[in-house]
Amino acid sequence: MSDSKIVDTAARSSTASAKSAPLEGRRARRRASTLSTGDRVFLGFTTGSALLIMLILAGVAIFLIVKALPAIVADWPTDPELHAGPTLAFGNFWAYVAPLLWGTLWVSAIAIVIATPVAIGIALFISHYSPRRLAGILGSLVDLLAAVPSVVFGLWGIIVIRPFLRPLGDFLNHYLGWIPIFAGQPSSTGSTILAGSVVLAVMILPIITSISREVFLQTPRLNEEAALALGATQWEMIRVAVFPYARSGMVSAILLGLGRALGETMAIALIISPSIVFSVRILTEGGNSQTIAANIALNFPIATSLQRDALIGTGLLLFVVSFGVNILARYILGATGPGAASRRARREKKAALSA
Amino acid sequence: MKNSRTGRFAAVTLIGALALAGCASTSGGSGAPTSSVSPTGPDYSSLTGTITAGGSSAQGAAEDAWVAAFKALAPGVTVNYDKSQGSGGGQTNFVAGTYDFAGSDAPLSAANIAKAASGPCGTGGAINIPVYLDGESIAYNLPGVTKLNLTTSTIAKIFSLKIKDWSDPAITKDNGGTALPAGPITVVARSDASGTTFNFTSFLYGADPTDWPYPGDTAFPVKGNVSLQQGSSGVANAVGAGTGTIGYIDHSAIGKLTTATVNGVSFSADAVGKSLSTGGVPTPNGASGDLSLKFDYSKMTGADVYPIPLLSYAIICNTFKDPAQAKLTKAYLGFVTSATGQAVAAKNVGSAPLPASTLQQAASSLANVK
Repeated sequence: MSDSKIVDTAARSSTASAKSAPLEGRRARRRASTLSTGDRVFLGFTTGSALLIMLILAGVAIFLIVKALPAIVADWPTDPELHAGPTLAFGNFWAYVAPLLWGTLWVSAIAIVIATPVAIGIALFISHYSPRRLAGILGSLVDLLAAVPSVVFGLWGIIVIRPFLRPLGDFLNHYLGWIPIFAGQPSSTGSTILAGSVVLAVMILPIITSISREVFLQTPRLNEEAALALGATQWEMIRVAVFPYARSGMVSAILLGLGRALGETMAIALIISPSIVFSVRILTEGGNSQTIAANIALNFPIATSLQRDALIGTGLLLFVVSFGVNILARYILGATGPGAASRRARREKKAALSA
Repeated sequence: MKNSRTGRFAAVTLIGALALAGCASTSGGSGAPTSSVSPTGPDYSSLTGTITAGGSSAQGAAEDAWVAAFKALAPGVTVNYDKSQGSGGGQTNFVAGTYDFAGSDAPLSAANIAKAASGPCGTGGAINIPVYLDGESIAYNLPGVTKLNLTTSTIAKIFSLKIKDWSDPAITKDNGGTALPAGPITVVARSDASGTTFNFTSFLYGADPTDWPYPGDTAFPVKGNVSLQQGSSGVANAVGAGTGTIGYIDHSAIGKLTTATVNGVSFSADAVGKSLSTGGVPTPNGASGDLSLKFDYSKMTGADVYPIPLLSYAIICNTFKDPAQAKLTKAYLGFVTSATGQAVAAKNVGSAPLPASTLQQAASSLANVK
């Protein structure tokens, strides 16, 4: 009892002294006068690290642009290096990269469509349905999934998923073949976009799940209890209290998953039988669009120097696209995500104080 | 069904592991016997140093076996062969001066010959020495069919998608009039740019340009219902897992797949060796001692000639910048092109030993390297 009283008095007295001298000014004075060598070194180190990451990013961008330029300006049909091998059939750089860009987005989009419902379901189960102990185990299991190397996923795709999905592919092609994405001659080896996307979906599951779970857990307890008190069932409570609150967080989780899917290489290279074409088919052998990352992995080793430049050029485009997707995701999370309102309020208060 | 597929793949992996284990035991076991059995063989034990090389992945497994076997004879020498580079990367690194020798499925290109002369090799130039001979097999998976013969023109028609069914009259004719069970053919090819594809398409173009109008290239040129897979192991796996599949694979990577005879000839060391002696046309690059060959596939028609050879070279400078490095590299390549070296590769990766005449030429070319 007496202890808490003392603490209370101390707190009051400090508040009193804070009133006498403006808090902000005092902090600033302290910073200037008592900055020890250790502090200064550490400040330099952290600032340097922050600058380094920007330098690395800029360095990568410059490298990509400089290396890609010769292939972008080259005359493909007359160049002996480019008019051969994997770049034989293309008139210029843009004709080469456009179908690849399409394939990258297409394969990733299908993976997102498959992964999102499952990931949101897992996240909701962990945050709102499962017993606490099970939630912990399940959470770490999902995180473990992110630690599996992609080449292992690729081999799993080849050996298990490809033969497993073949009957489904034949079924969809036979009965729903009039829908363009299921059209064409079905694959007899299973090396389809469907198989690749399913594996890709499993690979991006951990990202979407763990971010969504964090966002769901941040839903204010009061909102949830209010909904339940009004007679909502668990599902109705999630619909009216959790989802609206977490919507932007979910969107950015999906976009971050998309960013991961766009750059995935080994699994796609191993599983899908690729053609550099604009195609929406997902069940065929010869009509699968190819992704940029897998195309680089497959063709880089024995490419001639201009072909390498062309591949680096496609990498530049992938860099731009994934960069854009990631920035969009961060922006949505930062601008409208949970806590954004309170952060904004704090910023405004600070601004008002310093003014 | 699923189990048997998994089993097959596991078998392929296992064979790889056994081959590696085999090479390790060969090196351990044969080290001492080799020196005692052939006292006239050179003594490598006093050599020390490191050889840096890389390139062709086709000869990669053989290089692994050679390196292990050579290590037993010359404990002081370390050989680093980087097979992740591919033939193109091997040539690029060689002319840049980072390799003592490059492994390549094709002789040094014209552009790289000039770069080598102005770069690491000087006026003596760079020479190509054959070190590894293998063949490409036509593997297929057609339930119930254990024997299949295909002529070159039928192969060209199958891979250009002109023949689409196993019961096609051309295939029936190739097999003495016995019709195969009807069913669609799925062609399996490489999705990655590769020397294997270059070699196979060169063979088809050279043997039957009417049915296969595409010049040799590193990318499989035919579009359509073709299953494209990464690497020889990827093709082998897809051929094994699919039904009615057919694909071209380095002979050393076929695993347990069944292979077709080509023009009635099945793959054997002798039959591939004959393809080298009947169809190999020397195309010297100007540097003294160069042993580049070009295959004339139209000559490989004999009843004892397997017509899809795969020849891989080691590329070295005639004059090294560092004589000590020259001595080391000569010793290693001398071992590789010896009868023992060729036997090591044949035993561990199933390649065909190079004919004695080629080995003699290689020895005299190496003798002039300084």
